[in-house]
Amino acid sequence: MPPEKNIAARQEKQPSAMSRRNFLKAGAAAAMSAGLAGTLGAKPLAAAQTTSGAGYVKSKLHSRIDYGGATVRYVEHNDQWLGTSQILGAVKQYHEADQGFYMANRGKYTQEAQDCFYHYHFVMKHPFNNAIATFAMSLMPDQMVSGTPAAEKIPIPDPEQMTQHIKDCAYFLRADEVGVGRMPEYGYYSHKAPSQDDLLRDDLSNSVPVTERLPYVVVVMVDQHLETMLASTGYDGISAAQSMRSYHTTGVISVILADYIRKLGYNARAHHFTNYAAVMPPLTIAAGLGELSRTGDCTVHPRLGFRHKVAAVTTDMPLVPDKPIDFGLLDFCRVCAKCAENCPSEAITFDRDMVEYNGYLRWNSDFRKCTEFRVTNSEGSSCGRCMKVCPWNSKEDSWFHTAGTWIGSKGEASASLLKNIDDIFGYGDEQIEKYHWWLDWPERYGPPQH
Amino acid sequence: MGVFLMFIAGMIFLAGVLFVRPKVKTKTAAQNAAVWILYVLWYGITLIGVSFVYINAGVGHVKATSTAIFLFLGLSIVLAVILARVLGLLGVRKTPGSGSAAQES
Repeated sequence: MPPEKNIAARQEKQPSAMSRRNFLKAGAAAAMSAGLAGTLGAKPLAAAQTTSGAGYVKSKLHSRIDYGGATVRYVEHNDQWLGTSQILGAVKQYHEADQGFYMANRGKYTQEAQDCFYHYHFVMKHPFNNAIATFAMSLMPDQMVSGTPAAEKIPIPDPEQMTQHIKDCAYFLRADEVGVGRMPEYGYYSHKAPSQDDLLRDDLSNSVPVTERLPYVVVVMVDQHLETMLASTGYDGISAAQSMRSYHTTGVISVILADYIRKLGYNARAHHFTNYAAVMPPLTIAAGLGELSRTGDCTVHPRLGFRHKVAAVTTDMPLVPDKPIDFGLLDFCRVCAKCAENCPSEAITFDRDMVEYNGYLRWNSDFRKCTEFRVTNSEGSSCGRCMKVCPWNSKEDSWFHTAGTWIGSKGEASASLLKNIDDIFGYGDEQIEKYHWWLDWPERYGPPQH
Repeated sequence: MGVFLMFIAGMIFLAGVLFVRPKVKTKTAAQNAAVWILYVLWYGITLIGVSFVYINAGVGHVKATSTAIFLFLGLSIVLAVILARVLGLLGVRKTPGSGSAAQES
């Protein structure tokens, strides 16, 4: 018999190797395996009650910090490094009045920028943004953020357990991420800015020196809302509301947390959007919640990217600090520059390498251009375009975006690949209309009427 | 829902195995392995494509959805055609005597 016929004959004689019964059995086994795999993925509560052994103290409510798909390493916080930010010399503290918005109010930029900033017009011109910001202003008084601790200190024999507890409190109060860091001294402002009227006259004589020096900082982070960001241009009417959403929430959490710590007998001060005595980016890095990005003054979280705001509580309560993280952002930002390509004010640098600034390395963006655009933007209220287009946060949670950020955290070549894939699929710079839920008042977006 | 979809995906994979198995008529083990690798690759690309398009269309990423349809469906069709050709389902010229009439005679 020729070989072909032999094979054909065998195929005719042999029934299929898998009968219908076996086929169903195999299917059931596959389903059970999938279920088992899902069960193995969930960690038991007992496991959540221990330190990770790596870089952070676990919370009971969030037993695993969600870094998305990024590969995260825990790095050092010492005299030479704050996470992945290299410190080259003495980092000078700076005056709160030297930050961009206050510079606008002091008349250091254009007259239009000063007019638009005064009375916070650039946020308040949209009624919804105004409503959230007005609430946030109610958290401004000093008695909200600080105070005298209770006379009796509760004993804390196990700082690790207390760290876990404080994190759980923050998660309970609806924080999306929480970290505890060792407070870098240069994180404090040298002075708090005087009143807006003094700033308008460029009179800094009533500035108050910041003398507080507390050893630990608790940083709470809240998402700025994915769907809204997907529908927004990044600089339309809702733009400032996205910031205000996270600012007021983190503000509430930080104020309550600081008050709670004081009631336990320890010093604590909340730092939030309407009353800071510290600069947030170094605190965020110290607490293991991000790395400094190409923008030069914003940190990126491995899962939330730019899409967050933070508030902080500085305290002397004995806590165990988390370690700063490295998820390859510097390599990524070096080759990506999508934020710079899409910045409407062309404020973000295209430089490949970082430069020395105030004793540390960073990308140096033009903060004057950034501030002027945000306060005078006549197409909307403020701007967060860099947040919208960043490949680290421009999309929903799904297996392929998780795979994408895993790729992106593997060095420059893979970062370039992720950025190109991001562009090919049109992520970041699209507006998804079905999520456009807010009302627009374009007639209000122009300069203030005197 | 996720587990159910995984179950369905597994069922389709096994059904594909049952369909392909009797048609593998290669001469060497290497060719045999190549057919199965091609099948797994085709199945993987198709499954990734379906999942990618489903999720992106659900969220509303228009460009990602349309690009994925062209990319993954295109790859899937190319691999399916190659697989069908290797398995003898496509492009095999019927010679006299190989048809049903010849078998009956």
